[in-house]
Amino acid sequence: MKDLNLTFNLNGREVSKKISPNLLLVDLLRDVLNLKGTKVGCREGECGACTVLVNGEPVNSCILPAMKVAGQSVITIEGLSKEDELDPIQQAFIEEGAVQCGFCTPAMVLTAKALLGKNPHPDESQIRQSLSGVLCRCTGYRKIIKAVQKASLDK
Amino acid sequence: MVSFFLGDIGMDSKGEKRKKVITREPINLRQFIPPQAEPELSVVGQAVDRTDAKLKVKGKLDYGADYPQEGFLHGKILRSPYPHALIKSIHAEKARKLPGVVAVLTAKDVPGRNGFGVVLPDQPVICGDKVRFVGDTVALLAAETEDVAQRALSLIDVEYEALPAVFDPREALKPGAPAIHEKGNLLNHHKLRKGDIEKGFSQADIILKRSYKVPFVEHGYLEPDMTMAIPQADGSILIQGPMQAPFTLRRNAAAVLGIPINKVRVKSISMGGGFGGKEDAPIDIGCRAAVLAAHTKRPVRLALEREEVTLQTAKRHPHIMDIKIGAKKDGTLVAFEGTIYNEKGAYASLGPLVNIHSAIMMAGPYEIPNCKVDSYLCYTNHPFGGAMRGFGAPQVCFAHESIMDELASELKMSPLEIRKKNAFQLGSATATGQILEESMGLRETIEACAKAFDWDRRYREAGYIDRERTRRRGVGMAMGFYRTSIGTSFDGCGANVYVHEDGSVLLYSGITELGQGSFTVLSQICAEELGVNVEDIRLVSPDTDLVPEAGPTVGSRSTTLMGNAIILAARQVKESILEMASQMLFVPVEKLEARKGRIYNQDNPGRFVSFKDVAARCMATGKRLIGQGWWAPPPLGVDPETLQGNPYFVYAYSTQMAEVIVDLQTGEVEVTDHVAAFDVGKAINPKAVEGQIEGGIAMGLGYALMEEIILKDGTIQNLNLQDFLIPTTLDVPDVKSIILEMKTKFGPYGAKGVGEMPNIPTAPAIINAIAHACGGRVRSLPANPERVYWAMIEAGGPPAQ
Repeated sequence: MKDLNLTFNLNGREVSKKISPNLLLVDLLRDVLNLKGTKVGCREGECGACTVLVNGEPVNSCILPAMKVAGQSVITIEGLSKEDELDPIQQAFIEEGAVQCGFCTPAMVLTAKALLGKNPHPDESQIRQSLSGVLCRCTGYRKIIKAVQKASLDK
Repeated sequence: MVSFFLGDIGMDSKGEKRKKVITREPINLRQFIPPQAEPELSVVGQAVDRTDAKLKVKGKLDYGADYPQEGFLHGKILRSPYPHALIKSIHAEKARKLPGVVAVLTAKDVPGRNGFGVVLPDQPVICGDKVRFVGDTVALLAAETEDVAQRALSLIDVEYEALPAVFDPREALKPGAPAIHEKGNLLNHHKLRKGDIEKGFSQADIILKRSYKVPFVEHGYLEPDMTMAIPQADGSILIQGPMQAPFTLRRNAAAVLGIPINKVRVKSISMGGGFGGKEDAPIDIGCRAAVLAAHTKRPVRLALEREEVTLQTAKRHPHIMDIKIGAKKDGTLVAFEGTIYNEKGAYASLGPLVNIHSAIMMAGPYEIPNCKVDSYLCYTNHPFGGAMRGFGAPQVCFAHESIMDELASELKMSPLEIRKKNAFQLGSATATGQILEESMGLRETIEACAKAFDWDRRYREAGYIDRERTRRRGVGMAMGFYRTSIGTSFDGCGANVYVHEDGSVLLYSGITELGQGSFTVLSQICAEELGVNVEDIRLVSPDTDLVPEAGPTVGSRSTTLMGNAIILAARQVKESILEMASQMLFVPVEKLEARKGRIYNQDNPGRFVSFKDVAARCMATGKRLIGQGWWAPPPLGVDPETLQGNPYFVYAYSTQMAEVIVDLQTGEVEVTDHVAAFDVGKAINPKAVEGQIEGGIAMGLGYALMEEIILKDGTIQNLNLQDFLIPTTLDVPDVKSIILEMKTKFGPYGAKGVGEMPNIPTAPAIINAIAHACGGRVRSLPANPERVYWAMIEAGGPPAQ
């Protein structure tokens, strides 16, 4: 198959690459662009570890062909904070003890970012609903939810 | 002056070996570390932020799959599609000819021992004569790219001769059953005998017989297994990847490669969850990648996709448990007889140790004078069981807590009442005859949990919650106890502490970070003991070339055993520090205290020197700044014929209570509340302990309601997370944890292990709540909607009120 030109906005900057139409977004990010913060857990869109934001919406990048983000805006965990600063959501995750093995953390943080962007003061049920697409085996979710609540209060 | 009492090592005064080994008060002072005569602790007991959290929230922590792949060959495994078959021939010429394929290896290419295993090496690196489960390894392949490797797999031709297979442990034990291994299908049989079981039953006013069943389940860690094997210029080999047991991998890889242990270097890197599954899966793929690397003389990475993780790696052992229990009409237990058919699957893995633990724990946290347990560990042609959080306890706890409720119901007693009647207390004897002499908080967890949950009111007020009478609320409870550490012959642990001339500290510990927070907690213990801040400590990641033997990160042993070793190491350095500080301050050593980077006179804290300055002076005058600690538990042992004795040295305790709402039309269960109380000895980092509790309860909830590896003719039907369900944010309630501290004299600052305890009583608490809500008694996990619904129908339909 012939390579195609892909141009899209990644973490605030325009990126252009020639890629195979087969290439999945997660593999573009990890293997071609060397952004390893987006994780692979299941490769079938179930676990959510591969979550990135496309036009502000959480998306499973492991089942999305990269060409689909042509002309769109993509945010990965690397785009959430510059250098040493932390987004208030990231800070809240640390303080609330919401991080154990950390494998789901980038996905949880990005999904929470998308939620608070649309609904700055969600109740517990809305937080649970919004995060239901990301699996965590370590935490039982309680401290993750507390972290999102804390971040929403701190805004 | 340390004196040794002969009884403690199993000899009588004539020097003859006694059959039983019973521990008494520990008298080897090196094993007994008294907690600090408590000035307030400066960092232990604080909920400090995890040392690795910042990298994780930024997505900057590299897990195995994030490591650079340039220069690596990609390894792949060819697996058997048959559950039991002879390998007649393998033709790999076509695969070898594919451009980019560098090696295709079969059994004859394994340079050393063609077998690995944590307990016994019965699992072939590459199967030679036969395969024993669907997914068994038939060939290994390495290629320049993953694509080529994948394509080459399908070019290997294998001719099999199918053999009759056996899928049920009870069938496997029958004479004439197909022999899976040469020595037969019974891998081991453990017998627990306490008191006189016949006499016990003769004293019973009521006898109940029930049977319970639990399936294979997956650990479900988010990070799939992977490994990297890198041959070194000096002829040694480096194997690195996520793993809980670097030393176990090292000794297995050395044997498989046929080289000495000191030529194998193993590094445990950041892990995306373990739960016991990364105890032996990394040995499996690590040995295989090592064989490919040794053969090709190139670095090899072997990474599993999620389906391969499910297909190939160890699971929780299924148990079929038959119980006969006898009690007086006031609820006092008099006899407990249990038979466990522990399904091993195809290979030993941790099975032999799980089996003895299941037998020991089967009767539960109750004083029962007469106990008889037989636990049969049986090979089958299924995927195999290994270590999974609880190691036999979740399985048997489901059984004993279910039958306690069934007994209570027959006696018209409340579940709380019958447990209070029989629960362990200080001085109780366990089913192995061990006297619980210290650190016993079971009854306190019952009280605390019942109070916080408001048990009495909720138990009375259960019932229909809607006018249409389609949904009913119920509550249930369960209790459990769980050992700290593994109780087998090797259970030692070493640590090194190096202090530098600027006061900064390197901590060398072979305990791995699964996500449970060990790196943070162990750093806290080191900081507390040295008298510095947590930020002054840098923990060197487990590398077998650098850290002392530590044993595996399993069995809830890390905080206690490694914590003790670290304290001993830190104290060795502290001797120098305090001696030097004493000289600098003109204050006797006994009057000095070290805290948060300062050493000061207890009587005059204004008079102090900084840890930094003292360290610099030590360095300048050649005073020792290196400390080494080694800690092993007190002597333990059980009689091999009766399992009587002291198998483990201390236990944690937990009581849990759940509230559920059952939809009577569909059998769906919603867990609406869960309260859990724990005696953990001492919470070194309370937030980390809560994290283990909340996560463990979620795992127990999954076990109760939704997790099951479905097998048909030996083949797993649900290989990925779409159909192997684990709990989401919509399944787990807001859990309330209560932490109690009944300190143990064996642990750092009194701490016992806590990692596994939380997920043990959770499932039976929920199953008991379901029975209370709808009358349906589910005896086979998971309690999915069909099972709940039909259990309710079998009980005669939902309760009238």
